Amino acid sequence: MPSFAYFEPILIFTLLNVTMAMGLYITALSGQLSMATAAIAGVGAYLSAILTAKWGWPFLPAIVCAAAIGAVVGTLLALVTLRMRDFILKLTTLAFGEALSVLAFNWEYIGGANSFTGITLYTTLPQCVLAALLALYVAWRFDGSRLGFAARAVRDDPLAAGAMGVPLMRVRVITFALGSALVGIGGALQAHYLLVISPNELGFFVSLNFVIFLLFGGLQTLWGPVLGAALLTALPELLRFTSQYRLILYGLIIVLVVLVRPEGVLTRKPTGQARRLFGRILVPERPVGALAERPTDRPLPLGLVQRSAER
Amino acid sequence: MMPLLLQQIANGLVIGSTYAVVALGFSLAFTVLRVINFAHPDIFMVGMFAGLVLAVPGPWGFVVALGAGALGAAAVGYALERTVISPLRGRDVLMTLIGTLGVAIMLENGMALIAGPDPVSYPNLLPREFVDIGPVTLTLRQVVNFAICLALLVLVSLYVRATKFGRATRAIAERPDVAAAFGVDVGRVCQATILIASAMAGVAAVSVGAMYGSAHAFVGLLYGLKAFTCMLVAGNRYFEGVMVVALGLGIIEALVTGYLSSSLRDAVAFFVLIGVLLFRPNGLFGSYAT
Repeated sequence: MPSFAYFEPILIFTLLNVTMAMGLYITALSGQLSMATAAIAGVGAYLSAILTAKWGWPFLPAIVCAAAIGAVVGTLLALVTLRMRDFILKLTTLAFGEALSVLAFNWEYIGGANSFTGITLYTTLPQCVLAALLALYVAWRFDGSRLGFAARAVRDDPLAAGAMGVPLMRVRVITFALGSALVGIGGALQAHYLLVISPNELGFFVSLNFVIFLLFGGLQTLWGPVLGAALLTALPELLRFTSQYRLILYGLIIVLVVLVRPEGVLTRKPTGQARRLFGRILVPERPVGALAERPTDRPLPLGLVQRSAER
Repeated sequence: MMPLLLQQIANGLVIGSTYAVVALGFSLAFTVLRVINFAHPDIFMVGMFAGLVLAVPGPWGFVVALGAGALGAAAVGYALERTVISPLRGRDVLMTLIGTLGVAIMLENGMALIAGPDPVSYPNLLPREFVDIGPVTLTLRQVVNFAICLALLVLVSLYVRATKFGRATRAIAERPDVAAAFGVDVGRVCQATILIASAMAGVAAVSVGAMYGSAHAFVGLLYGLKAFTCMLVAGNRYFEGVMVVALGLGIIEALVTGYLSSSLRDAVAFFVLIGVLLFRPNGLFGSYAT
């Protein structure tokens, strides 16, 4: 049995990824599935590292600044992509992330290609637990708030939502900024645990990991991304006994989930076999339509027993 | 001054022609099937290794290797189409991206398991010679690579423009539902498209392997993102547009490497992408509605 020292890093990375996945979940709720999560995390990481390592700030203000800069970058991205169609938005965020990565690569002050080093170890497990809990709480409150419902309306049909009086720009900017602030916190904590930030970590393929977390777990409930982030972060480690084959297995699992459960692992309503067997128990008869979707109707733990009708 | 400029442009055209082949494969899959095939660069990689394994010494060695590359890549492409792409057709573009990315991870790490994670040296299929073309000096391998890639591009262009299947391909790209209503067998054409894109990538991969003298399980990463960018910058209305953009990107990269710094080289593609997306979100040459 490996000791706790073996599991601590895995636990920390899992919690941090859950934190950042919650950020992306909030952002994605208004239809902006950003491909720049790693870049935003990287901005938070670089800023907090500069503050603590170069300017001698204490840890907490540096984290707050990381959250703030995350929010600023999120706001900018939301404004730039405001009028863009779904697919183009994803590509723009993708290109933004890659451009930031290149910028970091060529900026000597923050280490450039040699990575930013000399960061002091501040991050501890309790802090990560705290960050993850904060992110969960924010996402949970957001999910059931008026803003959360406005965000879903904007995601499903921006035109109709606008016609019904939902302020499109405000909703998109707030969701992007709020989500990015959480991502910034996650990035800062990660930087002060890894003690090194390399420009490559801002790139597309790292960002894509977060998108995979969301789609793997399912975007219908808050718990989907949590499951996706936790499982897929820990999975390569848990598969370590298969050594060489673990990444192949990782790829296989992703393919299988996309093929077998295209809505993600956790869905509101049980589908397929699960629905046939347990549907009656898991989905009780409830009011259908607008009343079933009112803000007080919060998601229950594990997302199994949910609203009876989605539309 | 002038010779360096011309030399860099020639180098850029050689690398750009390879980008163009991979980008065209991406573009075919995206335009016709509405699928972002992230496994495509790794099909390229499989083709490279298929050529390496089946390379025989002798004058026909290179041709045999090209054929092996095409067959190997097409086989993987066919398997991919049957198992992953076909069930995912019509789903959200992002799901196809994630699904094929899973396949890409499997292919890369599977090949790293077989061939090792380090670059493997490629058999000497072509003689080491230099060719002078006016003021420009290229290796024979570069010239052959450029010729092969250009031939592939012309062939695909002819296929799309001048054959019945090619016309069906363009019809599906424009309106899949209408094409199906007019009796186009959408499934068959989609299969053919993936097969052609894969075989083309396999041929180019062998010639690239011979050019650089090495094969690498993770070579796809290098070409994947560049080719993807080319496709987006060009838009998907004209396949030829992708070729032009890829060649242009190759030249720009070579010039940046020659006159600025090689670390900025990989940045160029993304700055071009951001610029184009901001002012022409449908690409330089326009796109079909998705």
